[in-house]
Amino acid sequence: MKNEYLPRQAVIKGIVSETPDTKTFTLRLKGKVMRYKPGQFLMLSLAGFGEAPFTYASMFRPDGIFQVSIRQVGTLTAALHNLKVNDIVGVRGPYGNSFPLNKFKNKSILFIAGGCGIAPLRPLIQHVSKNRKSFAKVEIIYGCRTPNDLAYRSEFKAWSNNSDTEVRLTVDAPDEKWAGACGVVCTLFPKIKLKSKNTVAFLCGPAVMIKAAIADLLKLGFKQGNIYASLERYMKCGIGKCGHCYIGGKYACLDGPNFSYAEMKKLGIEA
Amino acid sequence: MKRLFISQENLKILIRDLKKSCDEFIAPKGEHLEDIIFGDAKQDNRELLNYKGNSIISPREFLLPRTEIIFEIKSAKENRMIPREDKKKRVFYGVRSCDITALVLMRKFFLEGFADILYRQKLDNSIFISLACNERCSNLAFCNQIDSGPIAKAGFDLQLLPLDSGFLVEAGTNKGKQIISRNKKLFLRATALQEKEPKAKLKDFPGEAKIDYKKLAKIMQADKIKTSVWEDIGTRCVVCSGCITLCPTCSCFSIADRLRNDKGVRMRYCDGCPYAGFTRMAGGATPFPEHKDHIRRFFEHKLNVDVQRYKRPSCVGCARCIRTCPGNISIYKFIQEALK
Repeated sequence: MKNEYLPRQAVIKGIVSETPDTKTFTLRLKGKVMRYKPGQFLMLSLAGFGEAPFTYASMFRPDGIFQVSIRQVGTLTAALHNLKVNDIVGVRGPYGNSFPLNKFKNKSILFIAGGCGIAPLRPLIQHVSKNRKSFAKVEIIYGCRTPNDLAYRSEFKAWSNNSDTEVRLTVDAPDEKWAGACGVVCTLFPKIKLKSKNTVAFLCGPAVMIKAAIADLLKLGFKQGNIYASLERYMKCGIGKCGHCYIGGKYACLDGPNFSYAEMKKLGIEA
Repeated sequence: MKRLFISQENLKILIRDLKKSCDEFIAPKGEHLEDIIFGDAKQDNRELLNYKGNSIISPREFLLPRTEIIFEIKSAKENRMIPREDKKKRVFYGVRSCDITALVLMRKFFLEGFADILYRQKLDNSIFISLACNERCSNLAFCNQIDSGPIAKAGFDLQLLPLDSGFLVEAGTNKGKQIISRNKKLFLRATALQEKEPKAKLKDFPGEAKIDYKKLAKIMQADKIKTSVWEDIGTRCVVCSGCITLCPTCSCFSIADRLRNDKGVRMRYCDGCPYAGFTRMAGGATPFPEHKDHIRRFFEHKLNVDVQRYKRPSCVGCARCIRTCPGNISIYKFIQEALK
């Protein structure tokens, strides 16, 4: 019988500093490739420092190379930030549900990300960019505290180069060089050109942002079933046993972490 | 299946035989006068064949220990681990009906979906011999009202029902049947009079109305419990963790690493919803900042969510949480008030 708690080994193939506190690790799993879908997560561990859930930050590749973006907030993430290329980490997964992409062919897609919430949405953005013809218009709204906190900066251009794709950025605290918008993500909502009836919104970010953004999207006429949020919960096992991610009678690791607002309302979940 | 009869003397012989084939014989022992505690009696033979009341702590801790090593870290640098295996053969003797019902729920929970190998390997190598009650263990217990006692319906390999002299025996699984067929000489066919005895004795068991737990779950799903009820419970709870330690169906845990000189262990340890840090994330944010919501989860999980998942509440009416609570929180009172 399989021991679900036993991590597999993954080698660090590359490390990129995205922002002052976030690094993107490119990893290659030893042995069999791990198949996953956008929105799913993995348990990443460093022996002696512990284990924590992280979402895949890149789309699935047949060669088994994947990326994880990690913000330094605690003991484990601090230890991970000290690692170098060719170091080994423990990985198990994939766990959780994925965004139901097939349901939304030919619809417009709106991405709303706050801070490191861009990471779970990145594989989804990559998927949409790759299968651009399957979807109508695309808009990406991404807000951060300062211009330095914007991750994946080099990719914004590539994303906005796609036809019918707009990328809108905003920061809370601009510096002298910043020429873009200021304020929280919701301040950009009046600029959204997408028609709410034919658009699906995917959200990820801090709980405050998700709450405010959902309220504003509903005002714009978005249907409850067309708003999806990737929620953050404390998890220890990832397989529905440890109880930490209990959420309105469900476990975020099994039934989530991605919920439509309709589901969230039914379960009585707040972001 | 017809029930069998075993005399006290023959039961002692059976136990002696079972001890030979197991590594641990987990049985009730009388400690400090009348307090009952489960422990290994293979060597010291201090097991009680029958006892009054119930054990202070349920035998849950032998399947889900308070701390348990998941695997050994042979080299942290290389991320090399060796899983811990527990191949000990255990016999659980004298487990009460409420705790056996709890075991049925725990078995479902740990084996469904991604099966938990640590729990599974212990279950596979265990034999459960339950001991039905013929009197209420305390005036707080309500197993008869919540479908978990005084006689268990499932979850045991063998169930013993105490009579004035000896025990009625009932096999619940093939494992149990095998024990009987291996020791045929020790058992007699029960007489009609003996068959009737446990039920006759149960007449003394108070027969309050059954708890309509499906209705209760619906009330809780519709969020009809007043906020003031949760606030009251939140104020009374001092986070002593007595309830989650004693509850036979509490199973939440945390995982942590212990490391010295590149070698160590990854272990899990009991954790629970009353703690403020239970849902707190690395950045400090928590979806449940208020204490009333922490303790509310205990009630929601046992009385609402598990009714939807397992068709019965995961409260088995043992009343250990009620007896231990320094804040006088009573799940029984909560149920009765909610159903009013």
